Amino acid sequence: MADVRLEGITKRFGSLTVIPDLHLTVPDGSFTVLVGPSGCGKSTLLRIISGLENPSSGRIAIGGKDVTKTEPSQRGISMVFQSYALYPHMTVAQNIDFGLRLAKTPTVEREARVAEAARILALDDYLDRKPAQLSGGQRQRVAIGRSIVRKPEVFLFDEPLSNLDAALRTQMRVELAQLHQSIDATMIYVTHDQVEAMTLADRIVVMNKGRIEQVGAPMDLYDRPETVFVAGFIGSPKMNFVKGAAIGHEEAETVGFRPEHVTVSDGGEGFEAHTKVVETLGADTIAYVEADRLGELTVRLPGHIRLKAGETLRLAPQDEYLHFFDQNGQRMEVSR
Amino acid sequence: MASLDAARSSEPLSLRLRRGLGNGRVTAVLILLPPALILFTLFVILPLSESGYYAFFNWNGYGSPTDYVGVENFERIVGHSIFQTAVGNTLKIVLISLFIQMPLALVLALLIYRKTPTNAVFRLIFFVPYILAEVAAGLIWSFVFDGNYGVSASIAAAIGSEPYFLLADRDWAFVAVMTVIVWKYFGFHMMIYIAALQGVPEDLIEAARIEGASRTQIVRYVQVPQIKPALIVSAFFAIIGALQVFDIIIPLTNGGPSNQTHTIVTYLYTFGLTRLNIGFGSAVGVILFIAAVTVAVFYQRFFMKRGAVA
Repeated sequence: MADVRLEGITKRFGSLTVIPDLHLTVPDGSFTVLVGPSGCGKSTLLRIISGLENPSSGRIAIGGKDVTKTEPSQRGISMVFQSYALYPHMTVAQNIDFGLRLAKTPTVEREARVAEAARILALDDYLDRKPAQLSGGQRQRVAIGRSIVRKPEVFLFDEPLSNLDAALRTQMRVELAQLHQSIDATMIYVTHDQVEAMTLADRIVVMNKGRIEQVGAPMDLYDRPETVFVAGFIGSPKMNFVKGAAIGHEEAETVGFRPEHVTVSDGGEGFEAHTKVVETLGADTIAYVEADRLGELTVRLPGHIRLKAGETLRLAPQDEYLHFFDQNGQRMEVSR
Repeated sequence: MASLDAARSSEPLSLRLRRGLGNGRVTAVLILLPPALILFTLFVILPLSESGYYAFFNWNGYGSPTDYVGVENFERIVGHSIFQTAVGNTLKIVLISLFIQMPLALVLALLIYRKTPTNAVFRLIFFVPYILAEVAAGLIWSFVFDGNYGVSASIAAAIGSEPYFLLADRDWAFVAVMTVIVWKYFGFHMMIYIAALQGVPEDLIEAARIEGASRTQIVRYVQVPQIKPALIVSAFFAIIGALQVFDIIIPLTNGGPSNQTHTIVTYLYTFGLTRLNIGFGSAVGVILFIAAVTVAVFYQRFFMKRGAVA
């Protein structure tokens, strides 16, 4: 078990700076998710932690030990790749114990560890199969099994679920959460999917253009996004943004409110809006509307509301759930 | 699917033919097959069968073969000590190709398979010998080995020793020939391996690094198993190529000194064609053909299929 400290990490590829001066501490035993859009540097950061990539400057410590110049295999980490990176010519068992064989672990211990991993991941019946004979979910489990048997202090996951279909992804998400509870190791998980981040993490690091926008518990990010970027990235459907002046808050440049924090009012307050598209999801109905003075908005309404495209509604954002941002996109407090 | 096929094959032929005509399959076969069949017959089957026929005659190539000698040509060949040397030499080339040329090509491929400008330059340099015409390569090396004016003469002069004529040495001439063969063809195999290595996903190598594999362990446990199909194909080319070595030897040694550096093909050329023993030469050709086909069939059967599955 170990914490991970990144101090002043920068990464340049030629003249391009991908990560400028980044500081981050991942607490011991946490499930930390690095989330951000494609190209934000999250995978590069994970590869720097793993040692597959060297930082241009800065220091990495795992469990208090400086590992900046240490080989990947000596860092006490293991990594699960997006492509699973299973060796096609080896059986499941050989894939799982490859690292142990390299480390010349005694056969008895090796077999015990493989059996243990197979039990945890329900792979007992597949140990003699080749990866090509497995389904996507099973391959993913083998990749995780290969990580577990090495008993690493830190698990690294690089978008491990993005090659799976939606149903399997949900199932594997639950399995990963259970795995974290049962082995209690530090886990760092990279994804571009904010739903994965919200559901899995006890701590989310939102990244944008190589910088950390905000670090916090999932609900903290949802309730108090520090920047416009975080506000727009966390939560689905995306937060609505309008000009402060348009909604009667001239002191703020931008005001944001989430689709679920809009109520349909019977009259009086609020804005006239014309529905353009209505998506019925069962529990919810998502309406894309064009509102007077505010432009295009997304609204989440109760599932059983009868609504058709072209209808006119009167909408009112809930005042206590407004988020205010200044010219620099930073959160600001406004007395209401 | 299988049951459907089985059901179809149990139909009467006339019914299947009618269906074939209906969907244009039979027409396609009738139009497309004859040209290929005619060309293949004219340029491959007929010459081969003629050669098989001439092998049983004592014939100098003029007029029609009339002097039927049965299997005498084959008996003479098998008993001929120079043919035995030629077969031995051909086997040596096979072994040198498999155990020196291929490993050398693999090592170089591993060093330069990544796409960088420097590697591109080295790839070109290593590939140049293969582009060169065989006869030109043979001539160049005959100058290099020349004890009077060649590079070896300059080296001998520089270290103050007597000039040495490597290609005239009964014991060492074939070593020189094999060196040139390795030099000429390793680039070809290297290119096959480079293409294959570039197809190995980088993730696999990175995963192995994280698991603690050293550079050589990555090569042994990840890269080589991954490029096994390429290795199998390249070994096939090496063996078939070794059976056909000819135009490098002619300018280098012409089979000498005292017929010590013949391969099966130069033996055929020297004792069959240049001495106008066409019947005899045809018999050598038949032996070579049978050897090549045997190797190809066995290789396909035992390596290629398994390689494709693995």
